[in-house]
Amino acid sequence: MKTEPINRTSMWKFKLSAATMTLIPAAVGINYVAKALAEGLKLPVWLGSLGTFLASMLAGPVAGAISGFINNVIYGLTLSPISTVYAITSIGIGIAVGILHARGWFSSAKKVFVSAIIIAIVSAVISTPLNVIFWGGQTGIAWGDSLFAVMVANHLPVWLASFTDEFVLDILDKVCVAYLAFFIYRQLPQRMVRFFRDDK
Amino acid sequence: MDEDKRIVLENLNVRYSGMETSQLKNININTPIGQIIGIVGNSHSGKSTLCRVLAGIIPKIISATISGTYTIAGRSPMDDWTAFNTSTGVVLQNPAGQLSGLADTVADELAFDLINQGTSADVISKRVANVAAQMGLTDQLRQKPESLSGGQMQRLAIATAIITQPQILIMDDPTSEMDPVGRQQFFHWLTTVKDTTVFIVSSEIDDLCEVADSIWIMSEGELVSQGSPQDVFNHLSPEWQIPTPTVYQMAEKMNWRLTGDVFPVAAEELKEAFDATN
Amino acid sequence: MTDQSMLSDESAGKSKWYNAVDPITKLLFILDMALLSFAGTNLIMEAGLITAAFLLLVFSKISSTTVKALGFSLFLIFTMLVIQGLFYSKNQTVLFSVLGINFYKEGLMYATTLGSRVLVIILASGFFMVTTTISENAKYLEQSGLSYKTVYVLMSVCYILPEIMGNMRKIQQAQRVRGVNPQRTILQKLKSVLPVLIPLVIKTLDQSMTRSISLQLRGFDNPKRKALKADTHYRLAGMWHIGLTMIAVVLIGWKLWTKINGLF
Ligand SMILES: Nc1ncnc2c1ncn2[C@@H]1O[C@H](COP(=O)(O)OP(=O)(O)OP(=O)(O)O)[C@@H](O)[C@H]1O
Ligand SMILES: [Mg+2]
Repeated sequence: MKTEPINRTSMWKFKLSAATMTLIPAAVGINYVAKALAEGLKLPVWLGSLGTFLASMLAGPVAGAISGFINNVIYGLTLSPISTVYAITSIGIGIAVGILHARGWFSSAKKVFVSAIIIAIVSAVISTPLNVIFWGGQTGIAWGDSLFAVMVANHLPVWLASFTDEFVLDILDKVCVAYLAFFIYRQLPQRMVRFFRDDK
Repeated sequence: MDEDKRIVLENLNVRYSGMETSQLKNININTPIGQIIGIVGNSHSGKSTLCRVLAGIIPKIISATISGTYTIAGRSPMDDWTAFNTSTGVVLQNPAGQLSGLADTVADELAFDLINQGTSADVISKRVANVAAQMGLTDQLRQKPESLSGGQMQRLAIATAIITQPQILIMDDPTSEMDPVGRQQFFHWLTTVKDTTVFIVSSEIDDLCEVADSIWIMSEGELVSQGSPQDVFNHLSPEWQIPTPTVYQMAEKMNWRLTGDVFPVAAEELKEAFDATN
Repeated sequence: MTDQSMLSDESAGKSKWYNAVDPITKLLFILDMALLSFAGTNLIMEAGLITAAFLLLVFSKISSTTVKALGFSLFLIFTMLVIQGLFYSKNQTVLFSVLGINFYKEGLMYATTLGSRVLVIILASGFFMVTTTISENAKYLEQSGLSYKTVYVLMSVCYILPEIMGNMRKIQQAQRVRGVNPQRTILQKLKSVLPVLIPLVIKTLDQSMTRSISLQLRGFDNPKRKALKADTHYRLAGMWHIGLTMIAVVLIGWKLWTKINGLF
């Protein structure tokens, strides 16, 4: 009986392993707890995608996308119904983080900053139409919305004002989350990283 | 000898992926099934790793480089994993992690393993009631699993392992969070288990000496001693840093010996030694 | 998603009328209500939908969750009325002035329409939120043919969240004992999150690893697995599903048709 370690397979695996199956609920739980912590400390960021980031980094874009999706669906069905539609944004974030991580864009503090900006763009691009459809372009965060009001008052197009509103909030949030995820990921024991990465 | 009635490990080496050195080194065992085997050793000596091999978790679920052979009653986890897995019941070191994470009540949690095997509803309800009674969980059946105390959680973990009536039961430190009474009840229950090979990791050396047929001592990834409790604890090496049982210490102080010039390790033996001396 | 509200079971035995309606019917109902409210811009129709959803809630159950969800959106709808009333690009007709500031009819109408749609969705979802339990949903999903794995991925978080929250409280207490300095700047605050988050994430993921091993040992993926029949009996589930799905298809089709026609 001689068994070699199981090799890593492509990052696009659609059949969920048993490891990923328990990783996803944990990731959604981490999202919730991080969000609650941020609210408790009155931080100007949400941090509610930390678990999604970690799931993508550990098990790839598909796991991250599913974590993000389920996060918003569960949140929507238990607390805040409209947040369900932003599941699409969370899927985008999960995929973006997974690809960036697989391509090595989470390997150093400098690269993480670039990743954070790309993720913030992805997030804002997907969220803007939703903001326009449901909230006339607003985000519901006071200082982002003031910016929005000023831009609309100066006859700039709604989509541009809405994108700016969302993007300034997203950039701050995603930079914070990306660095948190980067630091935490580096602290994880190797056996854990290997367990969730292995394809079984 | 009859392979179908023995536990055989030959030159077993295990190295977790990404590790430099082996966590289990050259383990050799050849012993009959149907015993209660107590596994003793210090922290990081490889007890849990050995349990993982015995349960087939290594290499079926956690990847590792392993060499050597392992068969129990002629079966190996590598041959037919589902059949092997169905014949084992496992209690992991972390009892909370053993819960399914999708059960509303203790009863649902217990039913889970049977539902997975496609058991019919009336058999399930009978077995759930029976196992709950054995583990003293009857009053908790309608409670949420996460509302249980540490000791109750461990009894639930044990109950989920035995509900499928496995031939092989592997328990990694199953009493660590139990109170003294609960622990006593557990070890008493263990003596009533029939027709099952039991592997139990525990630091409760006194209790192990009362119930175990064999003791295996692990030290730094090696199996350094195996045999009957009396045999093993009369020949401890100070290097292993394993304490002697209370009975042994008492007998040593009083110089009550058994025939063969050995000290007793269990209560019955102590009485025997006392009678022999006086 | 508080610890209690997520899992609080209906007191067993008493069965209300809404317990006979299956979760999927309730979800399809939300979808249809949302589609209806997006179908037009007629405020009377929106008012009708709001009233319908509200009455449904009144005749089932009103819980604090719905009130909270409403509170947040009402505030947002208010700011929307102000911003659009003042600055909406199609603003022409002054409706009224406050302190010399003009509020325009077009913007107010636009914001009212959007706000009504949000209210319809929240009230309709409220019906689902207060009349189903997590465990009912989990059981129903597996009964409806989803694999245990899928149901697990979807629903398990509701079961493990109390445990994660409990671990967080333990870690926070330990931190407090060690004495943590008060934080002022964002960076200080962010740094103060790490000593809680790192052990919490490790603990949570460790638990997931054990759980994954345990689920496999316990044979969750055994092909013989047969989910037990649930004790709840749903009435006319099939009929509701077909009816509500047809309404949804018609509404989407009609919307697409008018959009396509509008292009020419
Ligand atoms: N999944 C893993 N990956 C890599 N190394 C591991 C893994 N699990 C355990 N080890 C290492 O293997 C060695 C033996 O660990 P094991 O858990 O088997 O000890 P143990 O005797 O059960 O200890 P304890 O009494 O603390 O439970 C340790 O050095 C440990 O760090
Ligand atoms: Mg151990």
